Amino acid sequence: MNDVAVSVEHVAKRFRMFHEQNNTLKSAVMRGRKSVHEDFWALKDVSFEVPRGSTFGLIGRNGSGKSTLLKCLAKILYPDQGRIQVHGRQASLLEVGSGFHPELSGRENVFLNGSILGMTKKEVTRKFDEIVSFAGVGDFIDQPVKNYSSGMYVRLGFSVAVAGTPDVLVVDEVLAVGDATFQKRCRTKFGEMREEGRTVILVSHSMSTVRDMCDQVAWLDGGQLRSAGAASPVIDAYTATV
Amino acid sequence: MTYLNELMSSRELLANLTAREVKGKYRRTVFGQLWSLINPLATMLIYTIVYSFIFRARLEVGDPSGLSIYPLWLMCGLLPWIFARNVINSGMTSIVSNGSLIKKVYFPRMALPLAAVGSFGFTWLVEMGVLLIALAIAGSNFWLFLPLIVLTMVFLAMFASGVGLVLAIVNVHFRDMQHLVGIALQMWMYLSPIIYPISLVEDATQKAGHPWILTVYRLNPIERFSTVFRNLMYDNRLPEWGDLLACLVWACASLAVGYAVFSRNEKKLAELL
Repeated sequence: MNDVAVSVEHVAKRFRMFHEQNNTLKSAVMRGRKSVHEDFWALKDVSFEVPRGSTFGLIGRNGSGKSTLLKCLAKILYPDQGRIQVHGRQASLLEVGSGFHPELSGRENVFLNGSILGMTKKEVTRKFDEIVSFAGVGDFIDQPVKNYSSGMYVRLGFSVAVAGTPDVLVVDEVLAVGDATFQKRCRTKFGEMREEGRTVILVSHSMSTVRDMCDQVAWLDGGQLRSAGAASPVIDAYTATV
Repeated sequence: MTYLNELMSSRELLANLTAREVKGKYRRTVFGQLWSLINPLATMLIYTIVYSFIFRARLEVGDPSGLSIYPLWLMCGLLPWIFARNVINSGMTSIVSNGSLIKKVYFPRMALPLAAVGSFGFTWLVEMGVLLIALAIAGSNFWLFLPLIVLTMVFLAMFASGVGLVLAIVNVHFRDMQHLVGIALQMWMYLSPIIYPISLVEDATQKAGHPWILTVYRLNPIERFSTVFRNLMYDNRLPEWGDLLACLVWACASLAVGYAVFSRNEKKLAELL
């Protein structure tokens, strides 16, 4: 099983849609413990394996369960059925710079965000110059991040995430924010990661990006897996339905 | 146990989150960290004027230290209370107010309320340091009891964290909690011998002929804590072992319950926020 980075086994995720949610004390007291809800299965029996060293894309329409699956992969949500096994160290980037404190400087935030992503201080110190140059924020590193442009914000967040050299990197559609130069740099970085045997899992709506970057793709539709496998045939099948 | 391991391995995150709270709180203020000293000083001034000069509250004479300075006596009970209150309050709101972080990144969620404990603990440490200096100048000889003072501080931190952890979870389910707790904390302070000595309660219950009220009153853990702190810092004597033991029991019980409740509900948090 050494060539599998992530295995997703029969994963199902249920959301409760509350008609009347019991999140005020009053409603809890008035109705007792019962709350009125309907189950919505955002993911139903999804199974696939992500090979080590691949760039894996998740595609599908809006509401097909991509983001839910990505959050399950990132351990933010927990599947109600089935399980997800990740081999190796994992970092996730669902929203860039989510751990940034606006009043603190870029430098302080790099250390803060690094530790949120599970890096040690020593590691961040060692890679600090690399992070700053990859992000291309230059002298702004000692400015509070609230003064950053949105591009700089994203680039700094992304740089910290990839600097941790995770074995598995989970990325939501965040790269679209950067400019062309940065996107190219990301693509190169993903290429490097692939060569080092690291795995990237990403979600995108842009089929050209997916075609460009991914070698494996899973297509989700209505919470179910339509097909998974080599990129082009799956992408072709998906584009045919649009 | 695996959860505890995970928490241990994220102590650097805990340190960084604490630093974030400490540094971020007074960013772009002229006085910076000084504010954390100005606040208790202002509170001390208010209570001293109101209770010592206007209400003429009975002045407690430290036995055997012989101190009789109301502001110092007050602060020995008030600073621990302010710390406990802040920890409970910010521990409770830490999950809801960091919702965006919880929904985007995975890390042991307990780091958030614990970072609140750390940041207020840091402030408290400075405040207690200043208070001890003031006490030493006034002639209190607490040096022998310093280890016990530190130990009691740890107990109080454990107790407050436990309460904060439970309330953090409850607050995610019922947002009413933070408003309710605000009122409850205020009542709690007046139900504890912080700004008035417990001897007043003893007298009152005796006079009313209901000594059992005092027994009920003393069930309040904050009463034990402020008694122990005052024994050590103001009176300069060993507290009754029963009181110290009660502090230890409250600390362990509260932290154990808080830990159990929090770790059991942690996985559901992202969905509920």
